[in-house]
Amino acid sequence: MIIRLIAALTLLGSVSAHSEELQIFDAHLHYSHDAALQIPTEQVVKILRDAGVKKALVSSSDDDGTQKLKAAAPDIVVPALRPYKRRGAISTWMNDLNVIDYLEDRLSQFEYEAIGEFHAYGDDINTKVIQRLIELAKERNLLLHHHGDRAAVDLIFDAWPEARVLWAHSGFAGPDEVADTLETYPKLWADLAYRSDMANAEGVDPDWEKLFMKYPDRFMVGSDTFAPERWYYVGVHADFSRSWLSDLPDDIARKIAFENAVAMIAAK
Amino acid sequence: MVFGMLAGFTAAKSDVLLSEDEIAQTLLHGPWPIEYGKDPSNRVSGNLEAIAFGKALFSDPILSRDENMSCASCHDPEYGFSDALPRAVGQKLLDRNTPSLMNLRSHRWFGWAGGTDNIWAQSIDPILNIDEMGHDAESLRSAIAGSTYPQTYGKLFGDISKHAPEDVLVNISKALAAYQETLRTGQTSFDRFRNALEAGDLTTAGTYSDSAQRGLQLFIGRGNCAFCHSGPAFTNGEFHDAGVPYFITETRVDEGRFGGLKAIKQNPFTLAGDYSDDPEKTGAWAVNQVRFQHSDFGTFRVPGLRGATKTAPYMHNGSLKDLAAVVDHYNAINMERLHVDGEAILQPLGLSPQEKNDLIAFLESLSDDGS
Repeated sequence: MIIRLIAALTLLGSVSAHSEELQIFDAHLHYSHDAALQIPTEQVVKILRDAGVKKALVSSSDDDGTQKLKAAAPDIVVPALRPYKRRGAISTWMNDLNVIDYLEDRLSQFEYEAIGEFHAYGDDINTKVIQRLIELAKERNLLLHHHGDRAAVDLIFDAWPEARVLWAHSGFAGPDEVADTLETYPKLWADLAYRSDMANAEGVDPDWEKLFMKYPDRFMVGSDTFAPERWYYVGVHADFSRSWLSDLPDDIARKIAFENAVAMIAAK
Repeated sequence: MVFGMLAGFTAAKSDVLLSEDEIAQTLLHGPWPIEYGKDPSNRVSGNLEAIAFGKALFSDPILSRDENMSCASCHDPEYGFSDALPRAVGQKLLDRNTPSLMNLRSHRWFGWAGGTDNIWAQSIDPILNIDEMGHDAESLRSAIAGSTYPQTYGKLFGDISKHAPEDVLVNISKALAAYQETLRTGQTSFDRFRNALEAGDLTTAGTYSDSAQRGLQLFIGRGNCAFCHSGPAFTNGEFHDAGVPYFITETRVDEGRFGGLKAIKQNPFTLAGDYSDDPEKTGAWAVNQVRFQHSDFGTFRVPGLRGATKTAPYMHNGSLKDLAAVVDHYNAINMERLHVDGEAILQPLGLSPQEKNDLIAFLESLSDDGS
């Protein structure tokens, strides 16, 4: 495993020899305004294809980046609508009533599979803006890609018990809390973006491995391109994912790498 | 005891603006200088002949294959052993700003990305880098053997003709390291202030300017600068995303610590390796234990702040021309670039013009040692 991890690290920016071995659904990508300015769309598509990323849940601040990328790679991009136009609004957007108009406007113009990734913690969910966001998702049966804590997850399911929710970064929660939340909400999935704790040089962390074995249909990978430069990490991340997933049974590795995200999108 | 002595300090002496808590935090940034002792991984550390040999080598173009540059070409003493350029120029324009060589013993990792864990290994990198000095071990051994240095080398390390090229490379780098260890900043007006606070000498402490004191208050308080720029050397020695873009070209990015980790995991010249002279492998735990994280990509080592006025421009790519630009950067830091669960410590500071000047006055007080 150590050798494999080092090998994965060595492959930065290069086309992986493993690209064709395990298809990747990257469930956490952004092509936001600054990335769209600095990295041409065709370059982004090349990065995805070189990395063996066959599908990607993409949301952007603002949404134009997602639309550009979808137009350039409709076979890859699964579009999600981020409710705010700039990442700097991460902690304030839920108090901005203009967000409702923005959401309604974009939803009337374009096709989406999800709303998110949106950041909300605890009582944020009870704001007028987020309650309307949930209503809009419910009207269209869209997935919610939520970044926040368990309290916020509870409130989302309070508002819409039948919701499909993708918990970004698995809430940055520990394995026990993730397990409890997945157990509580059968229609909750969890992405592993920007987390390195599920695998290290010794292999897959035992607590996480138990979780993957108990909930093999609920996890997925994601790289989180929160800054433009991180697009050049997508290939590395795909190889990293293939590396640690190879420690799991093949069927579970395939699920986490690709199939779970496909099933989540299809579970309308 | 010290804190008890200082109780009521601000009430007793209006020239000292700090609260007891601020004084306690200030004391953590000293005493200075720190005496580190010899580097156990380098058998010629502290050896006066090695220091002199390293100093001679440092300015000798023999260390470059084409004999067209020396260590001092980029590490100029006039600029704190940096070069005043945004990005270094070797055989071509390089990717990063030339880091200062002052106070190297305070580091755990070396270079902007921490690709090495000791000073002699860090000295090997530019010698072998094709875009810098461009030697390989064999060409370096030939150059040294054909120079006036074999006798000095022999006294320190043994007969060069009997040494393998890699051993000569390491030995030359250890002589360079012995010299670089001696490059230290001295006591500054901040240290005199800090030491006076510790000693309860209100008169001396009161001579530290009000502006620098207010800047210090910002540094350890609202600015949270001390969170990363901690301790006597004003660095935690680790790697962070300071919100500085890291594109090198339109299609190439600087991997930062991620690349450094790749390098050090493959580097035979670490404290854990056979080239260390320390049978106890002191400090090797770090390279043995360090773990890759996704957040490493595009992060860079927190530089120490002592002597900083000499080492402009700043940041890994030299993109900030002076201390005012650095303060402006943090004052209006672009939160768009930072992961919400990454560098949560960073927020726009919202400093007034006076506060910015105060912070700069404090930073300048870390450099007025006359070195």
